This record gives sequence, structure tokens and C-alpha cells, in this order.
Amino acid sequence: MAETIQADDVVDPLGAEEAEPRADQPELRAPGERWKRVGFLTCLTAGALIFLFPFYYMIVGALQTEPNPDVSGAFPDPSNLTLDNFVDINTALNLPRALLNSGIFTAGVILGTLVIGLLAGYALAQLEFRGRGFVFSAMLIVLIVPFQLLMIPLYVMIVRWYGLADTHLGMILPFAVNATAVFVFRQFFMQIPKDVFDAARIDGASELQILMRVAIPISKPALLTAVLVTFIGPWNEFLWPFLITKETDMQPLAVALANYISNVAARAANPFGAILAGATVLAIPAVVLFLAFQRKFVQAHLGSSVK
Amino acid sequence: MRGTKFVRTRAIVAIVTAFLFVAAACGGDEESVSEAQRSTGPIKIWYSNNPEEIEWGKQVVNAWNKEHPDEEVPGQEIPAGETSEEVIAAAITAGNTPCLVFNTAPAAVPQFDRAGGLVNLAEFEDGVSYIEERSGDRAAQYGYPEGEYNQMPWKANPVMIFYNKDLFKKAGLDPENPPLATYDEFLAASQALVDKGGVQAAIWPAPSSEFFQSWFDFYPMFIAQTGSGQLVEDGQAQFNNEDGVAVAEFWRQMYEEGLAQQETYNGDAFADQKSAMATVGPWAIAVYGEDIDWGVSPVPTQDGIAPEETYTFSDEKSIGMYTSCENQGTAWEFLKYATSEENDGLFLEISGQMPMRTDIIGTYSEYFEKNPEYEVFAEQAERTVEVPMVSGSIEMWQEFRNAYSASVIFREEDIQPAFDSAAETINGLVEEGS
Amino acid sequence: MAVAARPPRRLINRIAGRHPVGVAFAAPYMIFLVVIYAYPIILAIYMSFHDYFFAAPGAQVDRPFIGLDNYSTALGDPAFRRALLNVVVFLVINVPLTVGLALVLASALNTALPFRTFFRSSYYLPYVTASVALIGVWLWLFNSDGLVNAIIGEAGPDPTWLVNRFWAMPIIAFFATWKQLGFYVLVYLAALQNVPQELYDAAAVDGAGKLRSFQHVTVPGVRSATTLVIILATIVGANFFTEPYLLTGGGGPNGASISPVLLMYQEGIEQNKPGYAAAIGVILAIGVVVVSLVNRFLLERD
Repeated sequence: MAETIQADDVVDPLGAEEAEPRADQPELRAPGERWKRVGFLTCLTAGALIFLFPFYYMIVGALQTEPNPDVSGAFPDPSNLTLDNFVDINTALNLPRALLNSGIFTAGVILGTLVIGLLAGYALAQLEFRGRGFVFSAMLIVLIVPFQLLMIPLYVMIVRWYGLADTHLGMILPFAVNATAVFVFRQFFMQIPKDVFDAARIDGASELQILMRVAIPISKPALLTAVLVTFIGPWNEFLWPFLITKETDMQPLAVALANYISNVAARAANPFGAILAGATVLAIPAVVLFLAFQRKFVQAHLGSSVK
Repeated sequence: MRGTKFVRTRAIVAIVTAFLFVAAACGGDEESVSEAQRSTGPIKIWYSNNPEEIEWGKQVVNAWNKEHPDEEVPGQEIPAGETSEEVIAAAITAGNTPCLVFNTAPAAVPQFDRAGGLVNLAEFEDGVSYIEERSGDRAAQYGYPEGEYNQMPWKANPVMIFYNKDLFKKAGLDPENPPLATYDEFLAASQALVDKGGVQAAIWPAPSSEFFQSWFDFYPMFIAQTGSGQLVEDGQAQFNNEDGVAVAEFWRQMYEEGLAQQETYNGDAFADQKSAMATVGPWAIAVYGEDIDWGVSPVPTQDGIAPEETYTFSDEKSIGMYTSCENQGTAWEFLKYATSEENDGLFLEISGQMPMRTDIIGTYSEYFEKNPEYEVFAEQAERTVEVPMVSGSIEMWQEFRNAYSASVIFREEDIQPAFDSAAETINGLVEEGS
Repeated sequence: MAVAARPPRRLINRIAGRHPVGVAFAAPYMIFLVVIYAYPIILAIYMSFHDYFFAAPGAQVDRPFIGLDNYSTALGDPAFRRALLNVVVFLVINVPLTVGLALVLASALNTALPFRTFFRSSYYLPYVTASVALIGVWLWLFNSDGLVNAIIGEAGPDPTWLVNRFWAMPIIAFFATWKQLGFYVLVYLAALQNVPQELYDAAAVDGAGKLRSFQHVTVPGVRSATTLVIILATIVGANFFTEPYLLTGGGGPNGASISPVLLMYQEGIEQNKPGYAAAIGVILAIGVVVVSLVNRFLLERD
């Protein structure tokens, strides 16, 4: 058999290197270019600060003993800072258990999406088969129809017909394959020239081999995007797990926090702070995940294999 | 030829679906209904998740479980607020509601009943007598449809006006006898509070458009002004009459002069002292008691009425028994147990909210001796009015709130035409359902 | 370039297309869709033609067929009309802003930057944070005493932003754009990994500056990602619910910021009229499909 396409030909080993400085280095020596760069960085920084500000305010608010809704609240008085709101959360909820449930729920959804979604996205993009248009339309329909409309029949179905109340599977099922991720996979694979795959076919590789040896290796950016995108849904999802699980030790973090918030809201010295503390706790794992994964977005050198 | 496989799958799904509709349409038979009523055994209950109610719930459940080991009751919390209606509605449809929900809003009862979710407590031998003996005259307001009791009135938080004595002093108003009886007085006091008391609003009811918000601004005053009239009576909207318009014009003036705010406050305006007054129930004593030197006054009316004659909104929550319950016999016994004199007293002690029981002050005189500040509310609790028990009640409240928001809060329309138009729609709604 | 050799036209190819294995790859997803979504969606359409409400199993209820009544009521409902207008305002602000900003940002974040991780994270952060918290912050910002009014003073509108009939919707659109941008930046970032460096080098050699290489290499290079972004932004935008629900408490000043899905929630779940809600949903879905088709047509014309 002729040499099969090796993944190495197509992309850099990921995660091992940061992108090298771009070829625009020589331009920097020209004085006009330096100003442009300064301007560019300033804009970017200003934008980043604007984006960060509400998040910063959220953390500040979570750390306050007394809420300060005035403008000065953005720059808090150090004597007003406390970790009480966070401590309260830890005592009120079974944090490890809730995290575990969130983890299982989210992992299940990610697994389903990556496996089933990648297959479907790849097939939609690069394979011609009967029913392709139908699958694509079905995916769009699922994306378009809002959850509120489907919620009750879905609940009836999963609880009564499938008997999955108070189970992790029952929580996972409606979200098991994230339609947005399927769409992302499809668009991603559509961007790859057909020739890459046809070359492998000419070499006699079977479709399955092409999938495993060509498609999947080059799909790393799409996989990472899919993980980061799919993660948020189940992680922050409140209503569905709340409906499905009535046992408190089955409830994921978002539900436990929501319970805590409505519980605490009227009583705490700083109810707003409690809400913000809860939201911060919820956001941290997502941020950590992102920080870990975003390094993998590295420029690929795709051109060579096509020629 | 396209997707023949899928056509077949679709057909199967359609057939199964149709089968299920038919199965659902064929109801249970009469026999099994009364069987359930006699049956005993473990039952599930839900209570709301505010700390006092949980505390009470746990105590009652534990005491019951000790005495009835083979009719165990595991309790569970669900969040209070609009979410609980969603959860109950979904559970009714799926057939897995618990036997009792200790936080059933009366406004939702017509809907739940229409869905076949509620058990008519009048079907129990001592059903009607127990309810009417415990709650007296007020019980009749909770009978819906006529002659049935699909909820048991449980506890009320009669709406009164809380005020901040310090801020009143600062504004030059008498903190012990505040001038809040008539609309004119109330408006003048509000003006003084905003001018000299340093508050952003004299009173800050939520201006948002959720269907239940009117229960805390318009409705209590409408009830007081009409002397116990409901929003809709005998299938006719009442709020567009003279009294209703008077109440609306009062509120409109409050908004116009900036004495109440059009924006929602992000937090608790009364606690943060951005407002000097609030419409509250006895729950407020526990919440604000330590931080604010508070006083309480009945809601105002146009020309002033004696406090002993003022009616107000009940802000009541009922207990519902749901049809998915298998051991309704136990459920009924537990219901009576939880609303017994002893357990009602326990609830009063723990939460300060008023059980829907006649003569609370007499029955629990010891408690009121130790906690005289609650007596005002207990007294007011004798004169409360409920939301109208009509079909489509939530839709009705939403219609009303939309008209109120447009004409009173945002002053984009005139009151009489807006109210008249809403009244017409609501009359149609209520008629359809009956 | 060699022409791809055609496989022999066997029976399997006539039935299932050139790559019949595609059916096998797509099958798990289709099974998932049928098992989970077929019933609720078919039921929703069924409900839209009936006077329907949810009932306990075993309850005897009457659900008469009423043809297109729900649809005509919906189209005549001023709240629904206002909601549709709001969707248009939302999309007009949100979609172009999203596409433009996301691509520009993704390109910027794809270069060698100092503190690149910091920059990437800051744009992504709003996306992962729960709406509840962010909305609290925005409420604080746009309050009558809030930071924005403190800065711009007298120039602020009266009544203030979120209770202003005219401004409530645009503020919501900006909030949503800001919050979701992280996702679209990510999509573009992934797509940019596949734009070969050689093309940029070639453009540089031809003397193209940053702007021209952006225009002629980047933009065409991420064409399919742009389609994705536009379609998704349209769909998500048409379905926005959390913002009016939380930010303007049930539809804003006199319904000025009501959204179709919020209306569906009020009617379908709060008031137990899921047939009516379904009719609204169907009309909305048709609208979205039409807009998407128009978008696709316009995009493919280039």
C-alpha cells in the first residue's frame, strides 16, 4: 500500500510550541509601524479591560460584607472585604458532591458530542450519502426550536417512558449531542480541501481509515472548540437537572447554587454578594479549563500536503 | 425514494405517539379514585426552601415518622417563587408530583385543577368540616370550583406597610403615629421622605411585569379601598370601577412625582435604606428586625379607614394534595396533623407567619405575649382577601399587570381606557373557562 | 492535480450515495435526534393546531382541534408583534457586530502577542460566567445611579436606559453580543488555524499591508466559519430569553423588551397554553429559516 498520509505532514505537534513570531517582524523597524502596533495593543487592552470589568466587579462584589451599589463600589474599601460569602457556600452545600455531579453531567455530554458529533459533522461535510440534506435540516431544526417549548414533553418522555428520573443519564440525554458542536465540526471539515481526503482514497485507504488517520488528527482545533463550547451548557444549566433530580445528592453545582441563592437571598447580610460568590465558584472551573486548552490553538501548516 | 428508512421510523414514532395519546385520554376509573383515598402508606411531600419552613417541615415530619413508622414521610425542598409552579406543572404532566406540596399558590390552583392534578379534599368524609372549622369564614375564598376544595389554606402573610422610624424622624414625620391613612397624607409623607429623609424612593415596589407583582402594590390597596373586593367577582372585572381607578391614580402620582421608582432595585431597597417603606408580611420582622427600627401601618385608602376595618391581601400559600398520590388516606391524615393546633403553633413560633386559623391571638396568647410585635399582623390576618379563584387566573394577572405597567408605572396610556380594555379581555377569559 | 478516481457504481452506491459509509457515521446522531427530539417536536406542532394544555396522566380532558386559530391570534397579538420587532432590532445590532468583532479579535488573538493568554481569557470570560451574575453587574452599570450615567451625566436618556422604551432593547443586544463574543472568537480562532501561513507570506511578498491581507486572505479563508457564525448568531438571537427574563424582569417597561421565547414561556408554561406557545414557536422558526436562507443566498453570491 502506498504511504498513507501521516498526521505529522499536516500539522505541527500541538501543545509543544507556541506560534512563532510572525513574518511581520521586519516591518516593525519602520517608525510608522511601531505606532500602529502601540495603537493596536492599546485598543486590544482597552477592549480586554471592558470585557473583564464586569467579571472583576463580580469578584469584588462577592468579597464584600455590605453591598455597595454606588459607583465607588468598584473600588472597595479594604475593610469591607471578606471571604464570608464563600465560606457560607461551603457550609451550606455539599460542594464536592455537587461538583462531582456537575462533572459527570458535563463529561457525559462532552463524550457524546465529541464521538457522535464528530462523526456526523465529518459525514455532513465530506461524504456524499443519501439523506445528507435531511440530517443537516434535522440538526438545524433542533438548533432553532427553543428549549422552553420542548421542556415539558421532554420531561414526560424521559421520566415516564424511559424511567430515568433522578439518574445521571436522564440529565445527560437531552444534551448528549450538542447541535452547535455538530455544526462547528461540519463547518470545520468543510474548510479542509476535498483533495486531502481524495488523496488518501486514491492511495486505497478505507473510509474508516481516512477518518481515523486523516480527519481526526487534523480536527484538533475543532475538537478543542467543541469541548470549550459544549462544556458551558451543562455546566451552567439549571432548569433541566433541577426538574430531573429531586434528590439533593444528585444535583449538580448550578442547581445547588441556585437553591442556596434563593435560600440565602432574604437572610444574608449581603444577598447580592452571595449570588456573586456562587457565580464565581461556578465560573472558576470553566475558566481553568479554558486557560489549559487555549494554548493549543496554534497556527497549522496545512499547505504542504496538498501539492 | 428519499430516506425510506426514516419514513418508516417516523411512522413508528407517530403510531407510538398516537397510542400514548389514546392511553392518556382514557382516564382512570371511579373505583381506583376512592381506593387511593382509603389507602395508607408512605407518602412524599415538598416544602418551600426558605429556612424557617424547612426547619418546621423537618420537625413535623420527624415527629410524625416516630409515631407512624409504616407511613413514613420523607420531606423535600423545592425553591419558592415562580420556578416552583413550573416544577409542579411539569411534575403533574409526568405524573410524579408528591402527595402534598406545602407551597401551592392559590393563583395556580385553577390551572392545576384543570390539568386534573389536584385532589378534591371535600371528597374526604371530614374534608369540608375540617377546613371550614379551622379557617372559618375565609375558607370560602379557597373553594374552587364551587363546592370543591382543591387546596387547603395553610398560612398567610397579610400585607401591611413597614416603615423606617429613623427615616421618618429625619423627614420630620411622627414615627409613632405616621400620617399614612389617606392618599393625600401618604403622598405628602412620601414627598417629605424623599426631600428630607435622604431616600431615593418613599416606597419601592418592584415595577417589573411578572404576573404576580400586582399582589404587592395595586391589589392590597384595591382590597382596602373596596372593603374586601376581589379583582374579579362573579365573572366580572372590578378593577376598572371608581375604586380601582382611584388606587391606580394614587400610584400613578407616586411614580410621576418620583416617589416610587420605575427601575427595579438590584437588591432590597428597604434593607439598604434606599426606600423608607415597603409592603410586607410578618416575615419582615425576622428579616429586618435587627437592622432597622421599624414600625407597621395598614395600607392607605383614599379617605382613610380605621385600622380595625381595613382589609388587605393575604399573600397566602396553600397545601395541595395531588392526584398522583397513591396513599391519599395517609396524606389526608398527615395534612390534618400538620395543620393541627399544635403544629400551626409551631409554625407560628418558628416563622412568624400566620396560619390560616381562626382566632390566632386567642389560641396562641402565650406566643403573642412574648412577641407582641407580631400581634398587629395576627390582627390583620382576620381581614384578608385572596386572589379570585377563576380559571385562567395567571393569564388574568398578566393581562392586568401589562395594563397597569403601561398606564400607571410608565404612564404611556391613560388609566381608564387601559383598565377597560384589560377588563374586557379578562371578562372574556373568565367566561371561557367557567 | 489528479482527478479523484471514481469507485465503481455498485448497488450500494445507487441506494446510499457515493460514500455510503456516511449513512453509518451519521446514524448515531440521527438515532439520538429521533429518540430524544422527535416526540417533543412533533407534539409541539400538533399542539399548535389544538386548544391544548398539559394534564395529569389519566385525566379526562378535552383538546379540540382549532385549525389555524392559534396562529391568527398570535399574528394579531400586539405583544407578539412587539416581540418580533425586538428580535429584528436585536439581530440588526448583534449579528454584524458579532461577525465583525469576532473575526477581528480572533485575528488579533492569533498573532504573537505579549500576554496573549491574558487577552484571550478576558474576551472569553463573559461567555463562561453564568448570566445571573453578569446581569447583576449590568443592572448596576446601567442603573439611574450607575456608572454609565455617572460618566456621561446629563447626556443620559430619561427614563434611564433599561426602562426606556427605545433603549432597553439595544442595551440587551449589546449585553448579549458582549457575553457571547467569546464563543464566536473561539470558532474563528479554530478556523484561522486552517488558513495556511503561506498565503499570508505570499500576500506580504506582494506588498499587502495588514489590512489588505486581512481582506484578501483572512476573510475568504474563513468563509465557512462566517456562515456558521451568522447562522448561529441569527438562531441564538431569535431565541434570546434569559436577558429579558432577568435583565428587564418579565419583558421590560410595558413589554418594550419582550422576546418571542419569553412570551412562549409566559404563555406555554406559566399560563399552561402550550398550543399557543407552539404556534408562536412555529412562526418564529419559519422566520428564522427564511432569514437564514436569505443570508446563505447573499453569502453564496460572492
